[in-house]
Amino acid sequence: MSTILQELETKIAGLKTATAKSNTGIVREVGDGVCKIEGLSDVMLNEMIEFPGSVYGLALNLEESEVGCILLGDSADVAEGNEVKTTGRLLQVPVGKALLGRVVNTLGEPIDGKGPITTDVFYPVENLAPGIIKRRGVSQPVQTGIMAIDAMIPIGRGQRELIIGDRATGKTTIAIDTMISQARLNKAGEESGAKDFRPLYCIYVGIGQKNSNIARSVATLEAAGAMKYTIIVSAPASDSATSQYLAPFAGAAMGEWFMANGMDALIVFDDLSKHAVAYRQVSLVLKRPSGREAYPGDVFYLHSRLLERSARVNEANGGGSLTALPIVETQAGDVSAYIPTNVISITDGQIYLETDLFYQGIRPAISVGLSVSRVGSAAQIKAIKQVAGKIKLDLAQFRELAAFAQFGSDLDAKTKAQLDRGARIVELFKQPQYHPIPVEQQVAVLWSMQNGYLDEVPVDRVKEYQNKLQDFLGTRKEALLAKIREKRQVDKEVEDDLKAALNDFKTTFR
Amino acid sequence: MKLNKDSRKLSRQLFRNSFADGKLDNSKIQAVVESILATRPRHYLDILKDYHRLIRLEVEKRHAVVESAAELSAETSREVERDLKSKYGGDLTTDFRVNADLIGGLRIKIGNDVWDGSVRNRLARLSEEINHV
Repeated sequence: MSTILQELETKIAGLKTATAKSNTGIVREVGDGVCKIEGLSDVMLNEMIEFPGSVYGLALNLEESEVGCILLGDSADVAEGNEVKTTGRLLQVPVGKALLGRVVNTLGEPIDGKGPITTDVFYPVENLAPGIIKRRGVSQPVQTGIMAIDAMIPIGRGQRELIIGDRATGKTTIAIDTMISQARLNKAGEESGAKDFRPLYCIYVGIGQKNSNIARSVATLEAAGAMKYTIIVSAPASDSATSQYLAPFAGAAMGEWFMANGMDALIVFDDLSKHAVAYRQVSLVLKRPSGREAYPGDVFYLHSRLLERSARVNEANGGGSLTALPIVETQAGDVSAYIPTNVISITDGQIYLETDLFYQGIRPAISVGLSVSRVGSAAQIKAIKQVAGKIKLDLAQFRELAAFAQFGSDLDAKTKAQLDRGARIVELFKQPQYHPIPVEQQVAVLWSMQNGYLDEVPVDRVKEYQNKLQDFLGTRKEALLAKIREKRQVDKEVEDDLKAALNDFKTTFR
Repeated sequence: MKLNKDSRKLSRQLFRNSFADGKLDNSKIQAVVESILATRPRHYLDILKDYHRLIRLEVEKRHAVVESAAELSAETSREVERDLKSKYGGDLTTDFRVNADLIGGLRIKIGNDVWDGSVRNRLARLSEEINHV
């Protein structure tokens, strides 16, 4: 109690002498979440502006005698003639571990009914990305738990990997799966008490989504026990365009706190197409000149400055990282549209999901030919590199041969073997949603495939073989899995153990 | 106000031509208005409105509005006026107003800048600070 009194007395003492100087303006036009203000001669770009009734705005357009401003929160009470003033502050959001497990809006205010968030650290929503001196290369993996991604399109901590595809092709599912996988790894890492274990915290930013979709994602994460390590920033379709425009920047600020404090974080922007649409709306209402598809000229910079904030910083700066998984929705598979090409060129690779594959039952519907990871292979653990090195090539050859083989039945033995191998790889990479596979299990399964253990299994039973093998290894060969986990490579000893285990399993699999 | 690019450009040009020795010149302003009304260029009404707005904003920069909760004595008013003129120059005009909502103290507005030493403002700031404790 005495500390509160002391704090209060200090505040009162500070106020006694001060005559506050402020720079003011008058609202001349208001509507569609933006307003034009006359005056505010000292206002700075992106500065917060205070309206009557504790409503705040953000100065975006500085003109000769007017300021274009976007309104944050409820703008119903803002009217023409209102006097507004500058605050000298940039828009900030609360950051820190107190936000983990919470669902917040763009301003970092809780919307999950779990009470207030207690944190005294705030980060600016717009922040400069770390410079080249502060950065270091990507060398640690993000285990997504999705075998096709971990084997062929690996993602490293600090990387920006785009997830792109048409509507309903499983883009969000890949992101949610990755978050669930991180939660499991975090839990296991905490329980093991390993000193060098680095948990990966997750931030999911829902932009322009249906409220029901965000609620479903939250429920899935809660059911999987992943909310403990996750922050959800929600700017659904019912929120203003302003709120949707700022949401990914607010999420990035929350992620930056983890990076700045030597921790690792993963941020999912779901999705940047809707973000660009929200920004287009704000820009058009602010009467900024429009360009291609009516997007403003700086829509590339909008996304590049956002995604540049994902980085891995060097030891001198804490050694933290922020990995970004932006999502972009294409229309009828058109990756050459404006926003998809922009984001493809900014990111360090993309996972392209195809509708055709999705409906053929190949889920996740990853198109091997169009998906790439430009930096992730440096982050792959040696064991995965050993067993999955040639898989992408095998699969690409399989797709080519499969198309060719449709025209004739006479195939030479080599081609037939390649087709058989490819069909089995495709089966292996099918994976139900929300069931990430631990990396040691992936190594064991892929090793068995590389070494011909699957050749005798009929293609339609490959999935059954894989599931039973995983159960067998999980229940009876725990020591072998632990060995792979620790050694992170397949050496002679692990290879012998794998051979023994698989021969053992072969006798039980009928 | 929707104003096309050319009209805006013209009104800005007329505004710039209304100064003499860095200060607004009444005779020039009158001449500008008379010339527009005489020649009536395209969108002349919009041009006049924008020109009026620019002149108003410039005049406000040289005009102080001093608000107090109760009427100030003649001596205090003179003292305030003298202080303001010494700071902003002799051509500053002053307007004294009574605003009971201030509760006490003074609030001075010159152009876009406001110095608020009123009790109302201090209470508002105190309440904001207490909310943060």
